[in-house]
Amino acid sequence: MKWIAALLLAVVLPGQAATAVPSQAWWSLQPLVRPPVPNGPAHPIDAFLADRLRQEGLTPTAAADRRTLARRLWFDLVGLPPTPEELEGFLRDPSPLAYEQLVQRLLDSPRHGERQARHWMDVVHFAETHGHDQDRIREHAWPYRDYLIASFNADKPYAQFVAEQVAGDALFPDAPPAYVALGFLAAGPWDESSLRDIREDTLDREIARYLDRDDIVTTVMQTFTSMTVQCARCHDHKFDPISQSDYYALQAVFAGVGRGNRRYDPDSATHQRRSELAEHRTAVERGDAATLFDEGAQRTVAEWERHGVGEIAWRVLKPDVFVSATGATLTRQPDDSFLASGRHGPTDTYTFTALSPLPHPTAVRLEVLSDDSLPMHGPGREPNGNMHLSEFQVLAFEPGSTVARRIGLRHPSADFDQSGWTIAHALDGKDETAWGIFPEVGKRHEAVFEIAGPVDLREGTRLTLVLRQLHGGHCIGRLRFSVTDVPAPVQVCGEEVRQVLATPELHRSLAQRVGLARHVLLAAIDAEIAALPPPALVYCGANDFEPDGSHVPVREPRVVHLLHRGEITRPEKTAQPGALGCVTGLPARFDLPQPMDEGARRAALARWLTAPDNPLTWRSIVNRVWQQHFGSGLVATPNDFGRMGGTPSHPGLLDWLAVWFRDDAHGSQKQLHRLIVTSAAYRRAAFFPASEPTAAAASFGAATAADADDRLLWRFHPRRLDAEQVRDAILQMSGRLDLRMGGPSDRMFDLQPGIHVTPLVDYGKFELDSAAGSRRSVYRFLFRTLPDPFLDALDCPAGDQLTPLRNAGVTVQQALVLWNNAFIARHCEHLAARLAREAPELADQVQRAFALTLGRRASDEELHDFLAYAREHGLANLARLLFNSNEFLFVN
Amino acid sequence: MNPSLMTALAALGSRREFLSRLGGGLGGAALAQLLAMDQLATPRSTGPGDPPLPHHVPRARHVIQLFMNGGASQMDLFDYKPELFRRAGETFDPGSGQRVEAATSEPGKVLRPQFEFRQHGQCGRWVSSLLPCLATCVDDLAFFMAMSSRTNVHGPASYLMNSGFLLPGFPCFGAWVSYALGRISEDLPAFVVLPDTRGLPYNQRGNFSSGFLPVQHQGTVIDMGKAAPIADLRPPAGASFVTPAATGDGLRLLQRFNQAHLAENPGDSRLDARIHAYELAARMQLSAPEATDLQGESAATRRLYGLDSPVTADFGRRCLLARRLIERGVRFVQIWSGAGGPTNNWDNHANIQKELPPMCAATDRPIAALLQDLKARGLLEDTLVIWNTEFGRMPFSQGGEGRDHNGGTFVGWMAGAGVRAGVAHGESDAWSWKAVDRVTTTYDFHATVLHLLGLDHKRLTVRHSGADRRLTDVHGKVVNEVLG
Repeated sequence: MKWIAALLLAVVLPGQAATAVPSQAWWSLQPLVRPPVPNGPAHPIDAFLADRLRQEGLTPTAAADRRTLARRLWFDLVGLPPTPEELEGFLRDPSPLAYEQLVQRLLDSPRHGERQARHWMDVVHFAETHGHDQDRIREHAWPYRDYLIASFNADKPYAQFVAEQVAGDALFPDAPPAYVALGFLAAGPWDESSLRDIREDTLDREIARYLDRDDIVTTVMQTFTSMTVQCARCHDHKFDPISQSDYYALQAVFAGVGRGNRRYDPDSATHQRRSELAEHRTAVERGDAATLFDEGAQRTVAEWERHGVGEIAWRVLKPDVFVSATGATLTRQPDDSFLASGRHGPTDTYTFTALSPLPHPTAVRLEVLSDDSLPMHGPGREPNGNMHLSEFQVLAFEPGSTVARRIGLRHPSADFDQSGWTIAHALDGKDETAWGIFPEVGKRHEAVFEIAGPVDLREGTRLTLVLRQLHGGHCIGRLRFSVTDVPAPVQVCGEEVRQVLATPELHRSLAQRVGLARHVLLAAIDAEIAALPPPALVYCGANDFEPDGSHVPVREPRVVHLLHRGEITRPEKTAQPGALGCVTGLPARFDLPQPMDEGARRAALARWLTAPDNPLTWRSIVNRVWQQHFGSGLVATPNDFGRMGGTPSHPGLLDWLAVWFRDDAHGSQKQLHRLIVTSAAYRRAAFFPASEPTAAAASFGAATAADADDRLLWRFHPRRLDAEQVRDAILQMSGRLDLRMGGPSDRMFDLQPGIHVTPLVDYGKFELDSAAGSRRSVYRFLFRTLPDPFLDALDCPAGDQLTPLRNAGVTVQQALVLWNNAFIARHCEHLAARLAREAPELADQVQRAFALTLGRRASDEELHDFLAYAREHGLANLARLLFNSNEFLFVN
Repeated sequence: MNPSLMTALAALGSRREFLSRLGGGLGGAALAQLLAMDQLATPRSTGPGDPPLPHHVPRARHVIQLFMNGGASQMDLFDYKPELFRRAGETFDPGSGQRVEAATSEPGKVLRPQFEFRQHGQCGRWVSSLLPCLATCVDDLAFFMAMSSRTNVHGPASYLMNSGFLLPGFPCFGAWVSYALGRISEDLPAFVVLPDTRGLPYNQRGNFSSGFLPVQHQGTVIDMGKAAPIADLRPPAGASFVTPAATGDGLRLLQRFNQAHLAENPGDSRLDARIHAYELAARMQLSAPEATDLQGESAATRRLYGLDSPVTADFGRRCLLARRLIERGVRFVQIWSGAGGPTNNWDNHANIQKELPPMCAATDRPIAALLQDLKARGLLEDTLVIWNTEFGRMPFSQGGEGRDHNGGTFVGWMAGAGVRAGVAHGESDAWSWKAVDRVTTTYDFHATVLHLLGLDHKRLTVRHSGADRRLTDVHGKVVNEVLG
């Protein structure tokens, strides 16, 4: 009983600072020291293993034959079987280094990164929907998947790979991929109802925030350190030296992180320029004197004022057609504004048409006005006086024409923006976002939209202005339009700036000069920002992301309390950012010069994780990579290096690998793969050959009896193909595999709007022959609560839980799916068509089918049987048998 | 027998012999593995030294769970509160400065239940006029009058009621039962889910997930609204190359081919298990359509379940199917009323008076029929029927006529095997706002059902990510007061 021993240790031995349980006592927390390689075989891995086998008196199996080995290696390193041509090429290769060269080719193949990325996606529970009752699609989650593939293919050093995913934005601000890497923090499920839709002042909202951070903390620490810190949420860890205080210190690290779509520039130069502009903008906004009164800045201000752009001559439009889509009454007022009354629906679209008073308008102004007839004096009709303009459009009708021309609008500005509801939303093409003015109600506001490019309107051209207002009754109560033809930029001036302009230059106060410079410079910067190529979006964990309703970024990290027994109603002391106290030599709490700098907290954790002295990080990753090749890690519990987990079967080897990987390979995972697959241990046969004399059988029997689980690696343990290997192999065999990489995920289902947020997803209605059905499975769209039934039956995880090791069971459901699923059926037909194309005679077709699916020729007996079957029932049925065979489904 | 098969079998024979000398026949080991996975054979032991499951003599062998998706309004159905009639229209003030909040709205005035309450049966249970048929069954039911949830939000609350955790990824109730007790029948799965034909509930299939348990424990969905109610039971209609003869001959050849492969790869029980899996799959293909075919039921039975009325036919079909599945050895059937989303379920935010009656009308007669039918057939002896929802609703109004979510108190009931019929356990406060007396948490409810199945909820554990996970997390106590 391991845990009893742990408890005894806890009682008997003196405690570490953080907890009562001694940290040094446990293997995973001991400092990393490179043990000497035992004498024996030249390959260090084999030397360690042989040592143990000798001690236990076990004889390993012979080396696997090259055909078997090739199939094993291909599936392992690239997730696909060799084609018959690739396989024969390797078998015919006379070079003594043929195997090593093959290893290198496969590691260099882009397919390798795809395979590795899929492993990583399991570990971090990546999927592309939120996963709760509102299982919304994350349109921008896929860039993280592409980041993973690119990182693995580039063989990014592990420390950098870790650091980018935890704090890429803070540590590598000049590198665009470092932002995409933060998709890691947002990989897991997210409770949209609790974190966005319910009231913000409820306990349920606060509970959800703690649970959301719990997912992030758990993901980070399980993935990188294989420690179960989440067990210390309600009390100190019962088995490992992790205190509740440690746990909440980790929550505090992520206290300023939210999940959402963050903008980034895939192009480095654009990224650079946008960063500079953002920095400049911050300085201007802050009122930084050096920036505002810099010579160049003052020249810009003077220029602006000289051109008289400050005072804009507006010509008020006099619409003669005005309509409310839902039947509100619009009444013209003496000042040519319009007042809405009467019917007040949840949404409305107003349309106004007026003669253009100018032939070359450069901007359109919308004024929303207060009125005593409106709630809170308006300008909106919502009870709180607010209004939301979802989308604004202007169309032009040439005289006599009934065909409208869309007038492009750009650089919107407003004298006031509601938080999260800025004027830019009126032009973003999204119905769900809008411009609002709350809480500045009861006052006039204005918004100005520049017209993109010069327009030339013939006399008599009529302008139609369309105002879509789609947000829960937030309709505009009173409004008026004007146009101008002053040259761009045409921006709104707030009241403050107008007063400055009215004051002679010599009489302006310092504050007024600051205000003016700020206004002009901000407009100029914003114009330049708007001219940059549009940024891309990535769904990630960040301190900055596009607001989503009431889910908005926070200016500084939230306060995190240690919760007594994990109860939200029992907050105790405030948690300070930090990590685990049990890792000696590394700081348990972070001493940050600027504790409210969100990124600095994560950067500190990234440094803690990637420190050469952190024994957990390096042991954890070499164990994961080992597991990929042997089916089980040297530690059988890849996510638990604590006392409830396993202990290493070969502690010396694990530590040697960890140090070698860190120091000699400099964190190169490709080198680690190469080291492992070139060992004799990896190349062992699964069984003794059928032709082998009794001695081999006897030693196999003895070894089976002594170590049936193969913990000592005396044989190769056959593995069932995983879900993606099955699907990708079938695509390749049937000649349909499309190796296009990257980009938005393939939705292998029919998608319809659902009753509420979660859409209707029908895998049965998917057109299997479409382009979306032919790429590798790593590019498949991953729907959390509605997983693909075919891959689900083959144990593909749905992204709800971290899955460091998949189940690989054998079930009745699985047999039904492989036998009957539409994907299999259709690809039986594709393979049959390919066979018919590629071989003239039925016997050749059967042989070709064996070569494609099993990588070998059929024996005479098999040929006899399958030929008879194919003659009777056709090639598609033959394919169905081969896809369902154990030989296909297992790798030896 | 053709020569190749002879050869294969000869090889197999010699190797079987060889391996059986190592201890344990190969065929036996393989079958044991498959059966252990699907739990066809002996019950599972949770750890070395632990007694095999069940932990004690079970009272119930089957469970039918009726799940009212959306949060059924307890004070409009069962939790009769005169105070709400008296105080209707007043500001809701529970006193002593307690904070009143609602998940999605500003708390409104106290909302009077719109339906007449009467006492029923020997036990005198209060039931509103919305459930006239169920009201005749109250003497068979044990009520949990003061259940409480940890949340007021559908997603987490549905997960909690289904899996014992607020977050996704944990095994659901039926999966735990499948894992612990396994199949009764070789031909049908242990855990079947019958979703509302209008759509899946909140959390979709997340509610039927096996979480970190092996995938065969997840709920097998039978969707009576679809042409093929069970996915992949048959080849797709478009696959014209699949003929019965091709399938029959194919299975025979496949099995032979797999046997020969097994002979080359001896000692791997997974390979043998797959061979058996195809045999079991073939049996399921035969037995499942028979189980789901309601045509064989008598006209009287069909009428009893309300299949003759468009109001009750849909839910009635699922109740009748549940009985048939139980009869054929399915262990856990979960029947859903209501899809996810704002309408056509029990999530009556806008107008209780308009939205609640149709839900009751659709389910009342079928549920009463199920209870009567099970009883008449003697099935209620070893079948537990449970009625659940993820949370209750508020005593005050939302927008004047609806009610917001309330995890503070709600009602559930159970009937059948091992249940003390006619009792009502626990009490909510005067407004049915919070559970106050003898509160039943979701954990307690799960612990009680597991207890009736012969399982100790504290000892039914699976090691996952450093913790021995349970359906009841670290909570839960059996509610002995409802046990017969």
